[in-house]
Amino acid sequence: MYSVNYHRANSVDDAAKMAEAGDAKFLSGGMTLIPAMKTRLAAPSDLIDLTHISELKGITISGRTVTIGAGTIHYDVATHTDLKALCPALCHLASHIGDPAVRHRGTIGGSVANNDPAADYPSALLAMGATIITNQREIAAEDFFTGLFETALEEGEIVTAVTFEVPEKSGYAKFPNPASRYAMTGVFVAKGKDGVRVAVTGAGDNGVFRSEPLETALATSFDAKALEGLSVPSDNLMGDLHASPEYRANLIVVMAKRAVLAANG
Amino acid sequence: MSYTIDSKAVSQEPRPGQCLRTFIRDAGVFGVKKGCDQGDCGACTVWLDGVPVHSCLMPAHRAKDKQVTTVQGLEHDGHLHPVQQAFCDAQAFQCGFCAAGMIMTVAALDEEQRADLPRNLKGNLCRCTGYRAIEDAVHGIRSTDDDIAGAACGASLPNPFTQGIVTGHARYTMDVAVENLLHLKVLRSPHAHARIVSIDQSKARAIPGVVEVFTWEDVPRKLFSSATHEDHLVDPDDMYVLDNVARFVGQRVAAVVAETEAAAEAGCRALQVEYEILPAVFDPVEAMQDGAPILHSKGNEAKGNIFVTIKGEVGNVESGFAEAAVVHEKTYSTSRVQHAHLETHGSIAWRGEDGRLHVRTSTQAPFIAHQKLCYLFGIFPHDLHVFTERVGGGFGGKQEMVSEDLCLMATMKLGRPVKWEFTREEQFIGATTRHQMTTKVKLGAKADGTLTALEVHVVSNTGAYGGHGSETLAASLGSPLSAYRCKNKKADGHAVYTNMIPGGGFRGYGASQSTFAIECAMDDLAEKLGMDGFAIRRKNMIGPDDVIESVWSDPSDVSFGSYGLDECLDLVEAALANGEGLPAPEGNWAEGTGIALSVLESGPPTEHRSGGEMRLLPDGSYHLAVGSTEMGNGSINSHRQIAASILGTRGNNVDIINADTDLTPYDTGTFASTGTVVAGQAVALTAKALHDNIVSYAARITDTPVEDWSLVDDAVMNGNRRIELTELYKIGTEAGHRFDAKRKAYLSPRTIAFNVQGVRLAVHRVTGEVRVLHSVHAADIGRPINPMQCRGQLEGAVAMGYGWALTEHMVYDDHGKMLNPALRNYHIPAFADTPRTKIMFADTHDTIGPLGAKAQGECAINAVAPAVSNALANATGVRFAHLPFSPDRIFDQLSVTA
Repeated sequence: MYSVNYHRANSVDDAAKMAEAGDAKFLSGGMTLIPAMKTRLAAPSDLIDLTHISELKGITISGRTVTIGAGTIHYDVATHTDLKALCPALCHLASHIGDPAVRHRGTIGGSVANNDPAADYPSALLAMGATIITNQREIAAEDFFTGLFETALEEGEIVTAVTFEVPEKSGYAKFPNPASRYAMTGVFVAKGKDGVRVAVTGAGDNGVFRSEPLETALATSFDAKALEGLSVPSDNLMGDLHASPEYRANLIVVMAKRAVLAANG
Repeated sequence: MSYTIDSKAVSQEPRPGQCLRTFIRDAGVFGVKKGCDQGDCGACTVWLDGVPVHSCLMPAHRAKDKQVTTVQGLEHDGHLHPVQQAFCDAQAFQCGFCAAGMIMTVAALDEEQRADLPRNLKGNLCRCTGYRAIEDAVHGIRSTDDDIAGAACGASLPNPFTQGIVTGHARYTMDVAVENLLHLKVLRSPHAHARIVSIDQSKARAIPGVVEVFTWEDVPRKLFSSATHEDHLVDPDDMYVLDNVARFVGQRVAAVVAETEAAAEAGCRALQVEYEILPAVFDPVEAMQDGAPILHSKGNEAKGNIFVTIKGEVGNVESGFAEAAVVHEKTYSTSRVQHAHLETHGSIAWRGEDGRLHVRTSTQAPFIAHQKLCYLFGIFPHDLHVFTERVGGGFGGKQEMVSEDLCLMATMKLGRPVKWEFTREEQFIGATTRHQMTTKVKLGAKADGTLTALEVHVVSNTGAYGGHGSETLAASLGSPLSAYRCKNKKADGHAVYTNMIPGGGFRGYGASQSTFAIECAMDDLAEKLGMDGFAIRRKNMIGPDDVIESVWSDPSDVSFGSYGLDECLDLVEAALANGEGLPAPEGNWAEGTGIALSVLESGPPTEHRSGGEMRLLPDGSYHLAVGSTEMGNGSINSHRQIAASILGTRGNNVDIINADTDLTPYDTGTFASTGTVVAGQAVALTAKALHDNIVSYAARITDTPVEDWSLVDDAVMNGNRRIELTELYKIGTEAGHRFDAKRKAYLSPRTIAFNVQGVRLAVHRVTGEVRVLHSVHAADIGRPINPMQCRGQLEGAVAMGYGWALTEHMVYDDHGKMLNPALRNYHIPAFADTPRTKIMFADTHDTIGPLGAKAQGECAINAVAPAVSNALANATGVRFAHLPFSPDRIFDQLSVTA
């Protein structure tokens, strides 16, 4: 890899200060940023390592409110006993990200801040109406994910945690990309006090999005049968070497059914 | 603050931006491998404070004050870690390049994770084994036999490199510290067809550390082919070391040599090249049209872009079709795929203290590389030494000289050692691929299924250079057609230049492509006749009394050394019917079963030769030298087993060296299924000669008949009379006798091997997902020298066949640029994608190959993709005639048909 300056931050404030100089990027697990740097899709002059900041790590549960520190690795989310009891869909999602080595390094904050259109977490946060907490403010998931690899984050702003109220029921199903195993289409369904929300990742040509036709159908009856015969439009879906928009539209319905089945356990 | 690798403090600090993988290797710990450098393959897996991570994705600075553990640090008190031992016992590797990372991942799994290997081994790719042996290791299954004197042949002896592989100490091509080393990197063409107008080197030369830049003006103006064959005339001399015309995206444009890899890369980026863009053509049919841009003007202009046309006919197909009750005609096509051996191409060249030039490289053909290098650079053969140490996979990809030439040229000019290691991206865009072929098949049959005519037309896209173009085309028109008895056969084919990456040798070698077409067509014909796949094949497949004939009636050196095709078919039929495998999943799945057969001559039609040398050593053990390359195919093990068997000793009593132009006799190369039938034959002849040397000497000094003496382990015996070999050696050498032998083997006649693949699968009607429920494979490979290794070769070939059928595909844009040049987007089968395949052997003993053996590792791949297509057709009623069968393509075709 090319020459880059490495800085180890010990606190969020520390990290924010370090970011003021040069063309710096925050480095969490590095599971996306480092490969991007190797192929020069990203070329920061400085890396600010967030992984030694203890305040960013850990999962706290208060009633049905869950707060996950941005530096929490996928492995810890996947295996958290209390979280598993409360929101198994999220643990299931985390346990299917990447491979063991990735799950031991990759973090929820990194995934959210990077907003890869095929990442798993954004669909969960959007469907559960989560709030993304940064060192400067709190942002609703709805407003946070703004496009392909685009978020509402400002320069120097650091995601510190995500928080959400666990819905009554939730489920996640993805059709893995045959090559990368990223979600070629992933659907997270949540039935909570605000009704049914369905978020789709891996399929939209502008990143994660909510599917109105699916939400409407499931609002009537939160049952996979409610989706029988339903089809969603392929407009604004991604077409690439692995799948056409039409194929992804097809997968959205199939994955939604599977997610509902999982949610209804 | 410090760095610790395998409990040893490391004094140096990482360079800014350095990843942990290279930091570890700079510390001399070469057990950590590079397969992709992008977190996709897992070969670099190490533990950081006990947790497995991809060391290529880890800035080395992050390891500060943490414990880094590599495969070299797993041993405890001189004992292997239990997982290392398990990998020994199950022989859970072939080339062994993935093992270092695989072991680190497996050793970190808890019981729950071990129960879900498909998910937890996702991050570790193996290209050789098909994962069965790895699964065996995880479950503590032992596959090896004891090494018993005289019983080496037919025993599953462990690979002699086992200890080195599981401890990370086996040395692959790049696993060596070289002082004063320079690094070479190459700028590759962004254009599919362009003339280089100028190259401004000034900015590149100004970069600190850059030592030299080479362009087309600096290389010998000699045409050659990077393809390696004994007869160099079968490949066209159509390339230069560096050319002033780029003919595909990824062709070498210039080389930069620098003090560091980073400086060499920066130098490449700083070169300013002015290109004159030329019109390009990518499709071979378009390339044959009048007015298509012509790629080469090297004496072949009259034929346009057609590099070669091959045709033939026996009987008369026209009358054959006239007498047919049913005629089937359809076009089938296969995709462009890459070998994806985990060790990329690479070489290190230097001038030794002996004044000679040395090239350490990752090749399947060091002797042919040696010849080509001598020719290109005007070197007297004795002054050049080319050798391999351990090679991390080949599959035909390394039957090609693509890195040695530039390294050697640079070291000749600069006087310092020079290294060049391909990146994974270069492996995809700058090496070679399987030839993409489109095959039209026309079959005619009587109502009872008897074939009356078989006609095949092949168009092969050989890409920008013609290496292997003629031989793969000839292979595509050869054995797949001789598999069937038919009076009237006709075939023609063209290998056509286009502005695509060049095709090359690839396991199955041309025959894979047309086998796909013919085996699919055979089922399509059977469907029309109302027959099943077994019946139509039994009716028409070649039998032991038939003439082995494709479309040429001239005499052939292909003979039945043994025949087991009928048995293979019976084995597969019985296995598919035995109720094993998985049930179809619940839901909207369609289930289907398919079979296909493949036939391959053991060895190429071109000349092929090999030699062996053996010596008895003072301690009573043996030394064997053979030129053949070991790249995970297990030949080094089977060779010593052949020798040990003939000498009545244990495998471990034979020390072996291979693939070294200084230390071993000449060998054409390990390709075209020759490892056993040519190099193995040379070993057998050599061992027999040494055997005779030893017993005849014992007879002579005792004045007894030679036939009364035999070799048993470490002695010669005559009744109760026993002379230890150590003693015999002493007596003999003192008397001036030499206990050594040298023999050569040539390939003729060529025997013939058979494979049958059976698949039962389920396909999801809505998502197009395919799940293999039951996979069975029968092979007639003669007598297995090492049954476990043979099984592993077949499992690996079948797994690669599933990759070709289901997941692998090199995708290009309209300008000839590859869109998925990474293992993240080009998907070789992972553990989860690879069904376990039941491997069965026909009970045959070949009369041509050494000790009853014949070719094994290559032909198995050919039957897999057509068997999958036939099973899909059986499940859905739809013929999938174009590889690969990825879910989106299946969905597309099923929705159209629905």
